Amino acid sequence: MSGTLSRRKFLAASAAVTAGSLAAPWVARADAREITALLITGGPLYPKYWEKIVQDFTAKTGIKVRYDLLEFTPLTAKVVTLSAARSSQYDVYSTHTAQIDSYFNHFAPLNSYFSDSELADFYPVAVKYLRDPKTGNLAAIPRNMDARVQYYRSDIYQEKGLKPAETWEELVDVGLKLTGNGHYGLVVPGQGDPAQRTFSDLLWQAGGDWVDQANKPAFNSEAGIKALTFYRDLIQKHKIVPPDAVGYQWNENSTEFSSGTVYATFDWPGAFATLSNPETSRVVGKWSTAPYVRDKAPISCAISHAMALNGQSGRKDAAVEFIKYTVGADAQRLQFDQFTNFPSSQTVAKEVIAAAKGPQAIWLQQLETTIANGKEWPKLAGFSKVCTLMFSAIEQALSDQVSPADSLNQAATEAEEIMRRAGAYD
Amino acid sequence: MSTDAQHQASGRRRRSPLPYTWQRGYLLASPALLVMLAILVYPLGYSFIMSFFRWDLSGSAPFIGTGNYTDELFGRQFNQALRNQTIFSVVSITIEVVAGMAIAVLVNGKLRGMRLARTLLLVPPMIAPAVVGLNFRWLFNTQYGLVDALLRMFNMPDIPWLTHPAWALVSVIAADVWQNTPLMVLLFLAGLQSLPQEPLEAATVDGATPWQCFWHIVLPLMRPVIMIALMLRIIDTFRTFDVVWLMTQGGPGGATNLLTVYSYLLAFQAVDFGHAAAVSYIALGMSLLVLGLLYGVPWLLAKRRAI
Repeated sequence: MSGTLSRRKFLAASAAVTAGSLAAPWVARADAREITALLITGGPLYPKYWEKIVQDFTAKTGIKVRYDLLEFTPLTAKVVTLSAARSSQYDVYSTHTAQIDSYFNHFAPLNSYFSDSELADFYPVAVKYLRDPKTGNLAAIPRNMDARVQYYRSDIYQEKGLKPAETWEELVDVGLKLTGNGHYGLVVPGQGDPAQRTFSDLLWQAGGDWVDQANKPAFNSEAGIKALTFYRDLIQKHKIVPPDAVGYQWNENSTEFSSGTVYATFDWPGAFATLSNPETSRVVGKWSTAPYVRDKAPISCAISHAMALNGQSGRKDAAVEFIKYTVGADAQRLQFDQFTNFPSSQTVAKEVIAAAKGPQAIWLQQLETTIANGKEWPKLAGFSKVCTLMFSAIEQALSDQVSPADSLNQAATEAEEIMRRAGAYD
Repeated sequence: MSTDAQHQASGRRRRSPLPYTWQRGYLLASPALLVMLAILVYPLGYSFIMSFFRWDLSGSAPFIGTGNYTDELFGRQFNQALRNQTIFSVVSITIEVVAGMAIAVLVNGKLRGMRLARTLLLVPPMIAPAVVGLNFRWLFNTQYGLVDALLRMFNMPDIPWLTHPAWALVSVIAADVWQNTPLMVLLFLAGLQSLPQEPLEAATVDGATPWQCFWHIVLPLMRPVIMIALMLRIIDTFRTFDVVWLMTQGGPGGATNLLTVYSYLLAFQAVDFGHAAAVSYIALGMSLLVLGLLYGVPWLLAKRRAI
């Protein structure tokens, strides 16, 4: 054999490598006992959680799962890109109620894979907002519930003889008594999706809603203007919220409370675990929980992290087996143990509530009440684009660029046009 | 060349199925050209086509002609982004070019410590824009930031750098100026060091002041370098994304929304690729127009003078 590589051999080898790499995805895809998944992560415990779930699932079914992990925002961007490209790279996606309407035509309907009794076990509010309102197709299945309660500094409240606020007025009163010396009585986020979530809660609490019976924008009603005025005043008039909150999202919001700078906030279930961990919280043992505040009604959002089946998947049956496993009782119990994520299954939720003790039991009951009263914004055509418009409208009011009324009226006019163009009224 | 070598060379030529022609040149370059087409031309063309369709993941993607363009050109959010983009580009480029030239003249002198200064100037452009964005977000934080802490030391009021619409735009311009002025300095310094010394020496002998030398000799001679610097910065400011996204995400209320940030929000938040593509192409058209004016107007003036 010659020691040198001839041009012909080099070209042949290159061609073989190219052909092999091009054929590899199809060869791998041909194996129906292996699926791919794009899954959500966040924090150091998530990778271990998914590793265990996948190992247990493979041991039980023999189906291998190749998966990638991404945090919420990049995950959303990637799912959008892959859906636009009609990609079949992943069979299963982690998803969320917030933007589910964008994927109604890209996620395969899960209705036929779940019996009525199975679906009835999930919290109704979660299943309702994961359905396409036009077709009734279930675009995803809830994995855990996302709802908020009030977290407050019980040590400081006790010292000052205060009780956690129950109403909007009390929220301001308590906040004023706690604000000073570099500390603030409350923190709320003021940017992007978190700002819209906060406005949404206040809108429902004030008795308003996003759309009317005819699905026309109604968020600029008297209740909407009252809600946004109250939200703005917390920052600009009463100054009980840090001034930079206009630029805060969830992370900054949580950090202000866990660092001890702020004495109350409204946060998600994961905060219970974060605030209890000395590595992530300076206020361990110094806080407690209370129900979300109310005005006319005690309503706030109840949404869910969910699992979806890619409509382009060539291995739907195996993929659905995995989805079912991730929303099954064992996986939901493990989620609760690891991250205090509230189960989407009512049966599992009842189990964990019954087993909980002390402050955790109280907190879980508060969360369950929030979920029972919970709502979500409508899943109408074009509403994702309306959300982008609302981010800007809410931020403009919060930063005092325009009045809440002007901001909402302008947004309502544009929102109707966006939804009309998207076919929401067809 | 030895006879053996000639034989080997001619032997190689005989084995080749194609003669040495220009066609063969293209054939050999074709793999690279195909890759370029696949990763550059195809996505550009695809997104251009996309800009004429209602492309929003709703299943159907009807052709709507220039609908996305007209929606955006007459839309409030686009016009806010366009206004921000204009202010951002004009102010940051002006500061960067003027300050860059001043610093380049200074470090071009034979003062002590100039070698160290030149080395330090390399640092800001070497830092990733994402890191710059995060650092400036913290520097400008009202509660914990260094800038407001310094203001408080001098009994001055806090400035809501990132939460007031006007200050937020000032903040993102400040971050851009910090990162890109040193690049201008390096470009101008290279230009200054390659200037012919004779005209300057002659002017000095004739009694010209340093300012007169700079204004009447250095600046006209530096014109080609300044034009290149302007071109690079115009292209860059129309592509700016990371710094603004990490500092403000275009907020508050769109006050720092540049065209790139607005396009990103349309694509990945509103899931409206048609409008996002249209905004990207309007931004591309605008930067080409500005560059065309920058190069075309002096060329036309010179041609008119020649006539």
